[in-house]
Amino acid sequence: MGMSRRAIVALLIGAFANAVPPAAAAPSGPPVRIGSTLALTGPLAATAMLHKLVGEIYVEQLNQRNGLLGRPVEWVLKDDQSKPDLARTLYEQLITVDKVDLLLGPYATGNILSAMGVAQRYDKVLIHHTFGIPNLAKYDKQFPTWSLGPDPATTFPTTLLNALAASPKPPKTIAVVTSKFPSVQFMSMGAREIAKKRGLNEVLFLEWEFGNRDFGPIASRVKDANPDFLWVGAIGLEGNQLLEALKKIDYAPQEHFYMYPAPGPMTKAPEAKNALAATIFEEHPPFTNNPKAAEFVKLYNERAAKAGLPDTSVETQAAASYTAWQLLEAAVTATNSLDDKAIAQWIKTNRVDTIQGKLRFDGPSNYGDDLMRVKQVQNGRWVVVWPPEVAAPGAKLLVQ
Amino acid sequence: MTLPSLTLVAQAVLSGVFVGALYGLLGLGLSLSWGLLRQINLSHFALAFLGAYLTYQLASVGGIDPLLTLLVIAPCFFAIGAAIYWLLARFAVTPLNSLLVTFGLTVIVESLIQWLWTADFRKLESHYGNVTWRAGSLYLPLPELLTLGIAVALCTAAWAVLRYSDLGKALRAAAEDAPIAAAFGVNERALAMLLSGACAALAAAAGLGLALSHTLTPSQIYAWIGVVFAAVMIGGLGSALGPLVAGIVIGVSEAVTMALTAPSWAPLVSFSLLIIVLLVRPGKIAA
Amino acid sequence: MKRVVGALLAGAVALAAIPYLHVAAFYESFLYLVFLWVVLATSWNILSGYSGYVSFGHGAFFGVGVYTTAALAAKFDWPFLATLPVAALNAALLGVALGAIVFRVKQVRAELFALLTLAVTFIVATIILNTPIDGGPGLYLSAVPVPKLGPSAASSFFFLGLVAAAFAILVAYGIYVSKLGSGLFAIHDDEDAAEVLGVPTYRYKLIALAISCALAGVAGGIQALFVSYVTVAETFSITVPLTVVLMSVLGGTRHWAGPALGAAIITTLTYASTAGDYVLAGKASVGLILIVFVLFRPEGLLGGRARRHPPVAPARSQIEVSARAAAATAAWNAATSGSRIAPGDSSGSTLLAVRSLSKAFRGVQALDGVDLAVRRGEILGLLGPNGSGKSTFINVVSGHYRADGGSITFDGQSIAHLDAHRIARTGIARTYQIPRPFAHRSVLENAVLPAMFGAAALDRRSAKREALRWLEFTGLADRAEALPAALNLHQRKFLELARALASRPRLLLLDEVLSGLTSSEIDSAVQLIWRIREQGTTIVLVEHVMRVVVALADRIVVLDQGRVIAEGRPGEVMAHPAVIVAYLGSKGDAAG
Repeated sequence: MGMSRRAIVALLIGAFANAVPPAAAAPSGPPVRIGSTLALTGPLAATAMLHKLVGEIYVEQLNQRNGLLGRPVEWVLKDDQSKPDLARTLYEQLITVDKVDLLLGPYATGNILSAMGVAQRYDKVLIHHTFGIPNLAKYDKQFPTWSLGPDPATTFPTTLLNALAASPKPPKTIAVVTSKFPSVQFMSMGAREIAKKRGLNEVLFLEWEFGNRDFGPIASRVKDANPDFLWVGAIGLEGNQLLEALKKIDYAPQEHFYMYPAPGPMTKAPEAKNALAATIFEEHPPFTNNPKAAEFVKLYNERAAKAGLPDTSVETQAAASYTAWQLLEAAVTATNSLDDKAIAQWIKTNRVDTIQGKLRFDGPSNYGDDLMRVKQVQNGRWVVVWPPEVAAPGAKLLVQ
Repeated sequence: MTLPSLTLVAQAVLSGVFVGALYGLLGLGLSLSWGLLRQINLSHFALAFLGAYLTYQLASVGGIDPLLTLLVIAPCFFAIGAAIYWLLARFAVTPLNSLLVTFGLTVIVESLIQWLWTADFRKLESHYGNVTWRAGSLYLPLPELLTLGIAVALCTAAWAVLRYSDLGKALRAAAEDAPIAAAFGVNERALAMLLSGACAALAAAAGLGLALSHTLTPSQIYAWIGVVFAAVMIGGLGSALGPLVAGIVIGVSEAVTMALTAPSWAPLVSFSLLIIVLLVRPGKIAA
Repeated sequence: MKRVVGALLAGAVALAAIPYLHVAAFYESFLYLVFLWVVLATSWNILSGYSGYVSFGHGAFFGVGVYTTAALAAKFDWPFLATLPVAALNAALLGVALGAIVFRVKQVRAELFALLTLAVTFIVATIILNTPIDGGPGLYLSAVPVPKLGPSAASSFFFLGLVAAAFAILVAYGIYVSKLGSGLFAIHDDEDAAEVLGVPTYRYKLIALAISCALAGVAGGIQALFVSYVTVAETFSITVPLTVVLMSVLGGTRHWAGPALGAAIITTLTYASTAGDYVLAGKASVGLILIVFVLFRPEGLLGGRARRHPPVAPARSQIEVSARAAAATAAWNAATSGSRIAPGDSSGSTLLAVRSLSKAFRGVQALDGVDLAVRRGEILGLLGPNGSGKSTFINVVSGHYRADGGSITFDGQSIAHLDAHRIARTGIARTYQIPRPFAHRSVLENAVLPAMFGAAALDRRSAKREALRWLEFTGLADRAEALPAALNLHQRKFLELARALASRPRLLLLDEVLSGLTSSEIDSAVQLIWRIREQGTTIVLVEHVMRVVVALADRIVVLDQGRVIAEGRPGEVMAHPAVIVAYLGSKGDAAG
């Protein structure tokens, strides 16, 4: 005897019901509170804005899914005004007064270090996205999502010089000019070492203080030295300032690289043509082959435009930030808890799927693979040009 | 290590002159209001940046030539300057207190700027930016030349007005001894408001200079305070040409240092030089 | 005074209980930051608020403290607490080195000092950035153990901050009520007058600067460990120098607790505006609050005493004036019955001997080889047309100016190259033609100062008694609590006299004390001068009012264009042809 008709219908209905994803169950219950600070005002505000935007996007997406552990997520964000002593105190406030469940890091090395000290004292996990000096990160529950690798001062210049060696005009002479901003300076020192080891002739080495206003004389000296390759240890606008000064004395460097430039201005300035920089993510395949990444890029472009940002593309900053949230979500979901010990343990022993790829955190200072790529301004956009396996389709390192 | 070429040094000197001109232009309004009105107007920097942002906005979005935007911005700022003076005078604010009040104004203006334009970088791309003149082997970029020209013109004009015109004499008299000047028929209040308005208009001009050559972000307001204060104090309070000369001395000494040795030593050279000059000749550098 | 110290200590002890009350660590850290700024603002105020030498360089001294501690602790493994005295010392040394040079240059006042201190900040920052002290990467202190002073690390910083802040406030208060403080406030009002009254201005400024810097250095050292990663850009930014000024002005620079109050308010406001939403509105409202505070409380929240005294007294009638003078004389006579400043000595021996005294200003020879002697117990009239060098003479003798050449011997001691305050100590006092009272001090305090710092060198209590005595002598005793602005010209001139006398001078130099007075006021002034001479004080009287000089003076010296052209008894001198020519040209009469 076959099933009754009603049974068959019931079976079909049941099967159907299971095949269609349930209408998003709104997360419910007391919110999971994630606490962090960002430089919403002060000199670091220009870049910190991006991180705020990313965080807002992510939290929105999270709450549209199922929150964390089925509960809605609330981001408790404070303004550290670009000051480390405020950052430190605010993290203490977040932990001891606001009593947030989990932490995320602030923007930039100095403030992250302050926050790290506090996190260490309270044994809380600190996931951060913009830390530039790996050997200073000595706390065992801190996790970086900016995949510099544990020794970027050696690995990255190597990557870069490999890229240049493979280009149509491999450089024989190098000029290293750098800001004395800590996270940039140490990379520039590494660059000098690597360049020397590879037999490049250093024709100029200059350092300027962070906050220098007049790049004219430095530009003149660069022009005089006329290097094949110009390494500029620049942060923020310094690269643009140098390029403008070079333009004014009618000099365009043959190959030029900028450490941590403010991304937008570099693409917009005509004199920044073919400028090289470091990145972990750009808005093109193969990075955007990851569907989550593609979705994020689209959403970010929209939101950034709405917020009136001159530059709306996703690159290292936004990507590292998004990765940090992804890491947090993954760890919480996998351990099904908000317990910092369990989360830390899990992160150290697992690989996590993020828009940067599969990340690990088991190296020195919890750093994993070095995922720093070389990108170049081509036709007003950043495109990754090295290593070839992650370069934009058909893109090659262009030389003047 | 080879010695730098003469061209390099000369170009560096030029570079120093250009940046010094901007110090002078920024310092002009500050110096006049400090010396003649006894008001230390920290908000001068905020106004300059506001002017710069407005220039950027009108030129980039409105398509107006940056130089022409001054015709619109300066008069508005004149009114703001007069209002600031009115406020400070109404409450008889002492010089040190004016520092505090204008600091409050600075914070408000900074917040306003950040609210309107976000903290992100804004750069005025004008056709001036692409023009560079040549003088032999030296390069004279047009935006910087314009700023230099505006600075020299305004400072000289201010100097001439103060020195030769009745208005200027009245201003200086009122600054030295208001009651006596009043006895001679000098309307101190009206003059002071006029001067304060003019200083704010000068801030707008400085803003133009900033917009032409620099990328803008709100927190940069504070980056100029230290060096411009130095230029103003060295040049002599109330002096029109002083800040310009002092600014250029600072700019050139730093630039030459950067051309000859490690650039990060530049501030040491310029400020040591200034300390020595001040101790040896405590009078002003500019007459 | 004891009450205040007691209250402060009690307050500190009460605050010390906080870490044990199980409050969230954030509040301890927040209070630590308040304490830090209390130290910074209070220390700044000790020099800049008290003496008026506004410094824009507090960041340099703070930074020196930061880097001393950071370098010693991070690079040389010193225990943290041991680095703090060194931080204080380094900062103080820098300050004193700067001050020793800068304070010696006479024209360095106000804006110049502010500029120099600002320049020092740039210089120190650049040196630290370019040398192995930092070199660029910054210094990392998280490996430095925080001393266990409380139940948690935050508590340790709380206690460090509390002790530093309590200490700073106590020091500020201590200076405020001390002789050093009186001297500093006098310097603020009128440095030259203070120096001439006996205040060792150079030394006092250096002491205030050293203390100010040392405290800033300690604050820096503690902050270095608190932030645990120090960079040049962050440490030497414009924040510290600017904020300490704002905090002090907000709270009141003339009060010892003003800066502390300002620090508490501004730090609290800073934290009030850190909530993630509406940061810009929050920031703007902080600016607005500051503006409102300053506009409505211009002397700072704890600012100077309220000026409750009546406005300038109406001109008194002649009868009133003479009656007052007579009453004062009677009262004074009764009170002091003949005690004198110096033994009456009309032996005629020389008290002040001046030989070949020269002084030039930018090509104008104000004094050109002046020879004169002042005899003990006499009233010497010093006359001459305008520009003859009379005032310059007084200025040089009192030490206001340095002589270019010649010698000045006072009672056997050569004083030509002494600082003015030392000259005052030897027993010389002067009045100013245009009275220069200390505008922010009461009439009584104006007179107390010379009693403390002058030849008499009394302690504060005795100085007060002495000052009151001279106020009675000059008929100002009932205006003792008033501020000089409330006095009319006559009273201010008499205040000048009282001030000069309070130091018990043996030689009194009166610079046109009668100018601007009415006829009856002149009469009472003359009475006063006679009585002063009866005290045993020798007087040099520079005057234009002929009849007075002729009546008062035992001898007259006439100067013209920096040279002595006549000397002798009044009658002789006034008939001297050269004198007549000097005053009046070729004809005219010498009547007053």
